[in-house]
Amino acid sequence: MSKRIIIVLLGLTILFLPVSLFAITAQEIVREMDAQATFETSYATGSIKTVDRFGTKESTFKAWSRGTTDSLIEFTSIAERGQKILRTKGSLYLFYPDAEELIRMQGAALRQSVLGSDLSYEDMTEEKTTLDDYDVTLDGSETVRGRDCHILILTAKTRQVAYPVQKIWVDKETFLTWKGEYATNHGRLLKKMEVLDTLVIDGRTLPKETRIEDAMKSNSATWMMLDTLEVNIPLESNLFTLENLTW
Amino acid sequence: MVKKSLFLSLLLSIALTLSAAENPVVEMQLLNTINYTPATEQWSQTMAPAMSLSISSGRSGNVQGEVVLKTPNVNLLTTAPAPAIYDDILHKAYFKARFPSFRLTAGKTRLSWGDGMLFNAGDVLYGSNDTSVTLTQAELRSETGLLVSLNYPLGFFSFAEVTVLPSPDNQIEHMGGGARIYTTVQDTKVEAGYLTSYESERLHKPYISLQGNIGPDWYLSSSVAIPQRGDIGEETLDSLVITGGLYHIQYLKNLSLRLEFLTRPAGNWKAESQSDDDCPLLLYQELVYTPSSSLSWSLRTIISVMDLSLNATLGVNWAVLEGFSLLGFLSSPFGEENDLFSWKGKVPSPYGPTDARIALTLGASWIF
Repeated sequence: MSKRIIIVLLGLTILFLPVSLFAITAQEIVREMDAQATFETSYATGSIKTVDRFGTKESTFKAWSRGTTDSLIEFTSIAERGQKILRTKGSLYLFYPDAEELIRMQGAALRQSVLGSDLSYEDMTEEKTTLDDYDVTLDGSETVRGRDCHILILTAKTRQVAYPVQKIWVDKETFLTWKGEYATNHGRLLKKMEVLDTLVIDGRTLPKETRIEDAMKSNSATWMMLDTLEVNIPLESNLFTLENLTW
Repeated sequence: MVKKSLFLSLLLSIALTLSAAENPVVEMQLLNTINYTPATEQWSQTMAPAMSLSISSGRSGNVQGEVVLKTPNVNLLTTAPAPAIYDDILHKAYFKARFPSFRLTAGKTRLSWGDGMLFNAGDVLYGSNDTSVTLTQAELRSETGLLVSLNYPLGFFSFAEVTVLPSPDNQIEHMGGGARIYTTVQDTKVEAGYLTSYESERLHKPYISLQGNIGPDWYLSSSVAIPQRGDIGEETLDSLVITGGLYHIQYLKNLSLRLEFLTRPAGNWKAESQSDDDCPLLLYQELVYTPSSSLSWSLRTIISVMDLSLNATLGVNWAVLEGFSLLGFLSSPFGEENDLFSWKGKVPSPYGPTDARIALTLGASWIF
């Protein structure tokens, strides 16, 4: 009798062993998601289009990035020409050329709107070190825009992040984040994001057109579009410094 | 006659440089104001067109420059001498050159030392310790001046800056100059500097400015102006200014708040009418409500605590079309006669004390 039980248990163990061995964990998904979105270096041009009930506003930009933490954005549209945003290792600096003013932002200030759009500084310059700042759990699967996605719940470990709770839908094959809902600790929705179009660079699927909606603003949405993207290109060593920011 | 030839020469220079400019940017503003002056019980109306023209060389390469011309303020046209008007028109004219280990800036431009939108004790170059500002302007402090500066990087997020200021009266012994260091210690930005300048007497102005985050961002700055001669101890104590503030304070429904203070420990701490020079405690608040991407409401208030007077401006900015905005402002001082902000007396302004007025301003701005 006991032999039979042992055999049954062994059988069950063997049956389920491959599933437990090969099931991807939430941490591995996030790690792969960050890795897919991170390049040694990149250079992009694009635009931010904000539409609300009063009309449309469009701003254009150039953006550079290096690794997981460094990014620099320079606005090229007339009204904002020369304004720059530098993000590196948790700090964010703004430079306003008209006033020759350098402003440093931290913490919740990163949630502030960029040029009145639905995009925040955090959205535009997000660091790709998610697991350093968030605990993550897997919350099932769902299909988004025809793609099978993992649903992940990210809960902040620190107060120094813009969004305390994130619910994101990550493509099971390409690890692209197709959709996101960003909320406070109390569950109040702050922002929604959805990828509308993609491009493939270096074998990786990346967002080309993203729609962002600030839940605090009524009848407003912002589209962020990339016109060009080059990756793993040589960049000047002083690109992500205050010296270059204020140039 | 002098003023007319000044305008003609400037118009000519605009016409000549526009053709060579890579990216000229024009900002036009037309504001129509209806004023009521309680002291005289009179109504008046003014329409003030304003324009700025920015011609820049572009931001690539190792040398760049910019010229910004502005229409002069109407108050200056009637009262100020020609050089002052010329100075107001030529807002910026400078070049920057980047060398392998340092950067040179020369011409008429602005250096932003210290922190603070209205009150900034660290701004020893231009002074940001008074209430002589126009609350309807987006930038409360935008003064520029002639200078030569060298910026030397001390790492990715630190630098040292040395500046030389020309003599205000062509006497070589009245030249000015100073230096500052900008760095980060753990999570706090630390900036310290010193400026010596001649303002009817030689003054030495050290300052320190700190900035960090405790949920909202914060800053704290302090400076003194030490005279070369006279009662150095007393005058130094009198000049001590401390400013600070909290900003990027975000509330529900797109409400953001900025709070600043200025204190002079040796100021007049009596609960009586105050003057801008020795007012011991001033507060500034800016509340901005942004219900949509193109519409924002703001309430800016400067409060003189000891005489309980204040200057308030309610503003609305509606970005109707690309680069085109409709603007509206309602401004008024509140205070007794002789208070810093008086209902029936004079109030501080960038062009000297003016009659207190309730003003309703409507207009538009266009940038292209």
